[in-house]
Amino acid sequence: MKFVVENISKSSGRLGHLVQAETGKRFRTPLLVQTTKAGSIPYLSREVFDYITKETPALQFSLSTINHMTESLKLFNGTIGAYVGYPECLSLLLVRDTCTTTPSGHNDKDIMPLFTRRGKEMLTATSYMDAVEVLKPDIYQGLCDADTNLDSSKKRITKSVDRTAQFMDLCYERHQNSTVLNNSGLFVPIVGGYSTFARSDSIKHAKAKGESITSGYIFEGFHNNGLSATEVDVEQLLKVMTHSLNELNVEKPKMMPGAYTPPAMLELISLGVDIFDTSYAYCAATNFKALTFNFDLTKTESGNCSPFLDITTDSLKEDFTPLLADCDCLTCKKHTRAYLYHLYNTKEMAGPILIMIHNLHHMMKFFNTICNCIADDKLPDLVKLVNYQGHDAALDYSIKLNTKAISRNDQGKSFTVAKDDQ
Amino acid sequence: MTTKVPPLTYKVIAECSVTKARAGLMTLRHGEVNTPVFMPVGTQGTLKGLLPDQLIELNCQILLGNTYHLGMRPGIETLQKAGGLHKFMSWPRGILTDSGGFQMVSLLKLAQIDENGVNFCSPFDNSECMLTPEHSIQIQNTIGADIMMQLDDVVKTTTVGPRVEEAMHRTIRWLDRCINAHARDEDQSLFPIVQGALDPELRKICADALIQRKVRGYAVGGLSGGESKHEFWRTVHVCTDLLPKDKPRYLMGVGFAADLVVCVALGIDMFDCVFPTRTARFGCALVNTGQMNLKNKKYENDMRPIDDECECSTCSRYTRSYLHHIAAMEAVSCSLLSIHNVAYQLRLMRSMREAIQRDQFPQFICDFMAKHFEGEPVPLWIREALQAVNVDLPPDDVKVKEAVA
Ligand SMILES: [Zn+2]
Ligand SMILES: [Zn+2]
Repeated sequence: MKFVVENISKSSGRLGHLVQAETGKRFRTPLLVQTTKAGSIPYLSREVFDYITKETPALQFSLSTINHMTESLKLFNGTIGAYVGYPECLSLLLVRDTCTTTPSGHNDKDIMPLFTRRGKEMLTATSYMDAVEVLKPDIYQGLCDADTNLDSSKKRITKSVDRTAQFMDLCYERHQNSTVLNNSGLFVPIVGGYSTFARSDSIKHAKAKGESITSGYIFEGFHNNGLSATEVDVEQLLKVMTHSLNELNVEKPKMMPGAYTPPAMLELISLGVDIFDTSYAYCAATNFKALTFNFDLTKTESGNCSPFLDITTDSLKEDFTPLLADCDCLTCKKHTRAYLYHLYNTKEMAGPILIMIHNLHHMMKFFNTICNCIADDKLPDLVKLVNYQGHDAALDYSIKLNTKAISRNDQGKSFTVAKDDQ
Repeated sequence: MTTKVPPLTYKVIAECSVTKARAGLMTLRHGEVNTPVFMPVGTQGTLKGLLPDQLIELNCQILLGNTYHLGMRPGIETLQKAGGLHKFMSWPRGILTDSGGFQMVSLLKLAQIDENGVNFCSPFDNSECMLTPEHSIQIQNTIGADIMMQLDDVVKTTTVGPRVEEAMHRTIRWLDRCINAHARDEDQSLFPIVQGALDPELRKICADALIQRKVRGYAVGGLSGGESKHEFWRTVHVCTDLLPKDKPRYLMGVGFAADLVVCVALGIDMFDCVFPTRTARFGCALVNTGQMNLKNKKYENDMRPIDDECECSTCSRYTRSYLHHIAAMEAVSCSLLSIHNVAYQLRLMRSMREAIQRDQFPQFICDFMAKHFEGEPVPLWIREALQAVNVDLPPDDVKVKEAVA
């Protein structure tokens, strides 16, 4: 994995690309990586994903949702991407599932708790690196203790930095001595909650031990995944990130996993963060929210007061308009709000599938616009538009649990079989 | 619509020279349907986990919708405003709807039938409701399916005595009420249903009466409800003998592969069944030898597709091993297996049509049964049913016979 910075815009943001080592294929940054669950983009088969885009995706796998497949993957003659139906994808391996809340605690000695569908499993740096060697992703994150958020105590934050340093010492060693990870890039974790001192400590360790084998940096410990990432205090976050990015090598890509809101992503991109994932689109879809925020700078009149449309609203029952006027995704071209409401009301699986198609399409177009805005040096305008949507006050992009919709659509639970047809 | 072409035309394209099987072309307002055809069930205006585009990709030409469910949700007012089910669900091809009566009787324990219609308690607000033949047709006219079913008096298949006869006669009376209530004969075709349980005499009286009415196709009802397979095939055999050759015949609720092959040989043209999509949700894939339960540990490291010969999007990209790891756990597994299972059913029907057109259907039957019952004896009812249409399956191989003895 190689990273090239192409263009740093005058006011803010930068363009670049990741290069897949084996194929030379380029992936433009700021990059939106497709988050997966058990190897699949949530709700979507490969066939359906192809309805959204013909572009080769970058896929983000989380060990907590694919750990049960690693034994099979040892025997599979191909990449993790090929195993899950995307042989040509760029693969990124994370530890935690960004789509669902990661439980707190259980941070004992040199063990990292991994919450999988089989329950809590114990991960050590050694067993983690064993899994990485099986999966051979294009990019993987170093093991870290990311169990912190805005409320974490100083002690917990310090511990997370220390434990991460310990885990990483072994990860570096294994990475350097590995015979199968030559083409895999290591993203070094930077932790430390919302403490600039702790972040500096984490960065110091990251630099001291492995600047040369570091392919990039991944910032963890700001939230506990799932909906919590949509509710982070952006002001605090930006303060810590500004501080951290100043201490890091500009040339390396920076990644921030989790469901950060579009306005938060824009601010982070302005600071120089390069890689995000689609967890926000998933968190919205699974709570029956279709993303409708406007990012078209040619249309600046004030729009809706909400960045998304709640499909569970009863007034949609006979609304035969698309989710979003002018959207050219399959869902909006073919289906109406009334139909989506019906699918929600009958708990049919096509509901989340169609919302996910729209949300991913919306986010992908959003990222295209971001790239164009950076090239045209217009990112600050986009930040303003997305935040305010033509109104006087900034809109609330956080996603709350939709209690009307949680019954069937897995909030981290396995897919339950309905017995309602016939 | 001012066109003079009827909303359903049917033409026999090829007839098997040995069995009663035939291949035909049915032309509807929403496209052509090659028969024999399997219709996947999209109960509530969607097929479990599949999008209309994927069904078109599979060359699915007609779907079944359930009037009872659609009448409840989204309800006829919404469907009316949407301009019918085709528009509501964005499905440009054929749709068939049932009458709603069967589901009411089977889903609602308190449903009671009298001459007027089916009485039931609404599961949503417990109010007392009545589904009359007129009401069923009114709902189906609003749904706008290409083919509608008459409301019939449903009795358990295994019922005997005067209730069976009463139900059969009532079904005929209700047909007339349905025909009178039908307001869109220019766009939709109403199929009557042959009833009469397992009694050939009653089936004959019923069929004779239905044939008198001006309709464009017929359904065979009251089967697949707990009768023995021997009684099942004999009744189908009786009915297809009674029904005119120039109109399509639909056998309701039948969809297991071996049943499809036998019933095509007996002269049935249309089938529906929830089984392929339902079994997908439990992690099962349809294959020539029956079902493959992908949750089974033996598939954990099996790197083959479900079926080498299947051209569906699942088999072209995914291994049994991966499907094992997500089967019945991840929502996407339901989509992946449903695609394969619907593809399997449609491919089976296509092979039968092609075999009939080449006039090699008897050979197809023998090959299919050999594969399907690989290593097991072919059930006696299948042998007998096929003998009735002049196909003698080769004896089960010796090894099998010994194992059985
Ligand atoms: Zn859309
Ligand atoms: Zn297949």
